[in-house]
Amino acid sequence: MPTTLLELREVGKVFGDTVALAPTSLAIEEGSFVAIVGPSGCGKSTMFNVIAGLLRPDGGEVALRGATITASTGHVGYMLQKDLLVPWRTVEDNITMATRLTRRVTDEDRAEARRVARQYGLGEFLRHYPSALSGGMRQRVAFMRTLVTHQELLLLDEPFGALDAQTRLEMQEWLLQVWKDTGRTVLFITHDVDESIFLSDRIVVMSPRPGRVVADLANPLSRPRGIHTLLEPEFIALKAQVLGLLHGGDA
Amino acid sequence: MRRRVLLNVGVPILSLLIVLGVWQLIVVGGHVASYIAPRPREAITSVTSQWSTLWPLILGTIRETIYGYLIGAVLGFALGVVMAKIPVVQRLVYPVILVSQAVPVIALAPVLVIILGFGIVPKIVIVTWIVFFPVTVNVLDGLGHVDPDLKNLARVYGASRWRTFVQIEVPASTTPLFSGLKIGAIYAVTGAIIGELAASEGNSLALYQEHANSNLNTAAVYGTTIVMTLIGIAWFLLVVGLEVWSTPWQRRSVARRRWRRGADGAAR
Amino acid sequence: MKLRRLGLTAASSILVITGAVTAATTASSSAAPLKSVTFAYDFPGPDFELIPVVVAEDRGYFKAHGLSVKVDFPTNTSSTTQFLTTGTAQFGFITTTDMAVAVNVGAPLLSVANYSMRNNWALFAKPGVSLQAKTLHKTLLGKRIFSYGDTWTEAMLPFVLRYAHLTTSQVKIITNPTANDLTYLLAGKVDFSTSTTNYELPGFAGSHVKGKLSQLLGTQAGAPNIPIWVYAVTKSYAQSNPGTVKAFLAAILEATKWAAGHQVAAAKDFDKAYPKSGYTNAYNALGWKLTVPFLTNAQHRYFTQTNAQWSTLTSALKGIKLITKVAAPSSYYTNKYQPAQ
Repeated sequence: MPTTLLELREVGKVFGDTVALAPTSLAIEEGSFVAIVGPSGCGKSTMFNVIAGLLRPDGGEVALRGATITASTGHVGYMLQKDLLVPWRTVEDNITMATRLTRRVTDEDRAEARRVARQYGLGEFLRHYPSALSGGMRQRVAFMRTLVTHQELLLLDEPFGALDAQTRLEMQEWLLQVWKDTGRTVLFITHDVDESIFLSDRIVVMSPRPGRVVADLANPLSRPRGIHTLLEPEFIALKAQVLGLLHGGDA
Repeated sequence: MRRRVLLNVGVPILSLLIVLGVWQLIVVGGHVASYIAPRPREAITSVTSQWSTLWPLILGTIRETIYGYLIGAVLGFALGVVMAKIPVVQRLVYPVILVSQAVPVIALAPVLVIILGFGIVPKIVIVTWIVFFPVTVNVLDGLGHVDPDLKNLARVYGASRWRTFVQIEVPASTTPLFSGLKIGAIYAVTGAIIGELAASEGNSLALYQEHANSNLNTAAVYGTTIVMTLIGIAWFLLVVGLEVWSTPWQRRSVARRRWRRGADGAAR
Repeated sequence: MKLRRLGLTAASSILVITGAVTAATTASSSAAPLKSVTFAYDFPGPDFELIPVVVAEDRGYFKAHGLSVKVDFPTNTSSTTQFLTTGTAQFGFITTTDMAVAVNVGAPLLSVANYSMRNNWALFAKPGVSLQAKTLHKTLLGKRIFSYGDTWTEAMLPFVLRYAHLTTSQVKIITNPTANDLTYLLAGKVDFSTSTTNYELPGFAGSHVKGKLSQLLGTQAGAPNIPIWVYAVTKSYAQSNPGTVKAFLAAILEATKWAAGHQVAAAKDFDKAYPKSGYTNAYNALGWKLTVPFLTNAQHRYFTQTNAQWSTLTSALKGIKLITKVAAPSSYYTNKYQPAQ
């Protein structure tokens, strides 16, 4: 019986007259990779900000391992499409940035940052400033920064949205590798249906006005995944189903 | 690299030499009497020949400039931070500091002297008065433009306001901060000179120049003007140097090891 | 030289210059074409010592002598000599010390007439403070004395200090070229101020402080009794335009005599010519009244310069190293362009 890591119970948020997120319940299992897919305005980022503790929901509760974390920060890893690397810090110091924001950085923290960077192909760039890195490399650094927070749950909000198609595919494969190595639980927002299917164990489909969950689909595709996955009939079938859900809402 | 040095150092020196050359040409070619406009050489000699008299006065001006500048920079930074952090304070204080800058410093100087006397204090106050404003405005602007996503990220990580301020907001504001500091550096000497003109017990660089002026010693007027300018430029360059030293990421792609240590030291 | 009650700002001196232009253009043209010349005052803005020029313009004395005179004000008190040497102005109003300093650095200036005949420079103290020549040593010892830093005060103060058996290190000289000495004096920031009586007393009257300002004339404490202000031209201008110089002095003499005889009307003429001078009529009228007695010598004559006044002055200036060499008196002045009196 898998353990539930994160649970949303009737969590909703209204901004003025707009229901950004209708009361929603969702449970995320430990170690799973859940994709949340939906068009803009479907409330997926609002949901993330509620989980991250940045927004207080109008009602409901957010629980991590059964303990409530509603409107409280410091419990999850968090990464956006913008890499949010600080230009005045080197790659190594950017990786340890989250730690630096809460306590003094120790030699162990630095050693870990260096180890993670070497493991995932950035060992030569530890003393570089972010301005010297490509977009893909910057996103990797941002992800490593998220990783070394040692949070079990990682919230990734369209992290590869700004990358070109080739780099994006590389990053997706890379992410799956890291996920497999570290065993974290990932909640991954995207509006790219292919991406959501390629990466996830489970796909939560959302729709706007009001933002709500319209479907929660299991992803039957086997792992490890690669370019071949994109051509499998299950992939095509699932894609057709998700697209139908997304566009059916408009019909 | 060599080309850059040539451009950054060589060209400014060349332009200054051209200015001196044109000056010399006009004065010599136009047969201008030296009590109207001296030759560059006479201006420089007027300083070097009176060096033992001038040096203590120059030191005095430098002292006023440095004290006033440091107080102005710290005050300006603190004010910018408080105003950025507490909107009520910003609403209360912003009009006051705007008005403070609309007051012509020349008109202010005698008033300050009446209150603060003839010593170094009114000069420092005037320099502070001039320096704090660009620093405050730029810090306020810089802090107001820190990426809100970055601040949110810090919140998600559970950062305290203090750590967010030190680790994110201050370094993110270095460019506008140094803009303010550089503008302040250029005007600081002007403030000191205005303060010196507004009354001194004993001599000062500005009074020395004033005397030279009323005694038709035009060479010394030019000479002291050059000295005042050089103090201003030297101070400006010092601030630029500090900026270059403290913001290596703006010029380098790879950190020096020594700097990385320093960065962590600053983080504590 | 700034023996002036100030309170002038850059803005008010701009207003003042506009006033001057108006004054210059109000002179209507006569049959014969008028010779246009520029007169440079010694101070950035007009005040009552300009009354002879204002009267000469307003009452037609310049026109009667074939002149149209435009008044210019220098940016600072030493630019008047530069206005003359560069030809920006043909006639200038300067102090005798400025004259000596200019000649010393090779500026070819020539003083053609005294404005005032005697030295009314004085030390001042708040009402009630005893200021006596015979107790001056005790009175001044360790005290703060205000100076504008002008050459006249620089020249006179050493006489007074020597008279009081004091060195410059035994008093505190507060130098401020731009402020109002009376403000400092009345605020108690300095113990003594230095100025001329015709400027300091109207200033004090305007402050509405009760009592009588204590004063000690420099001449009662060792300072030489020599003229402070003169009319000057360049030597080359005088040589090529002797008629114009004579006409100018003739017009000024008539105007000065008229203004001395009609002091109230003369002050009103000034107010009319410079309504935005920043001074009240009371100030101007009192200032002019206090100036008039100094305009003539013991023989009741205007203008006349002497060898003695120039040699006394230049020796004094050399003594305090303001000038490097004392030239013959004739290299500073001439009386030959003055009208008969």
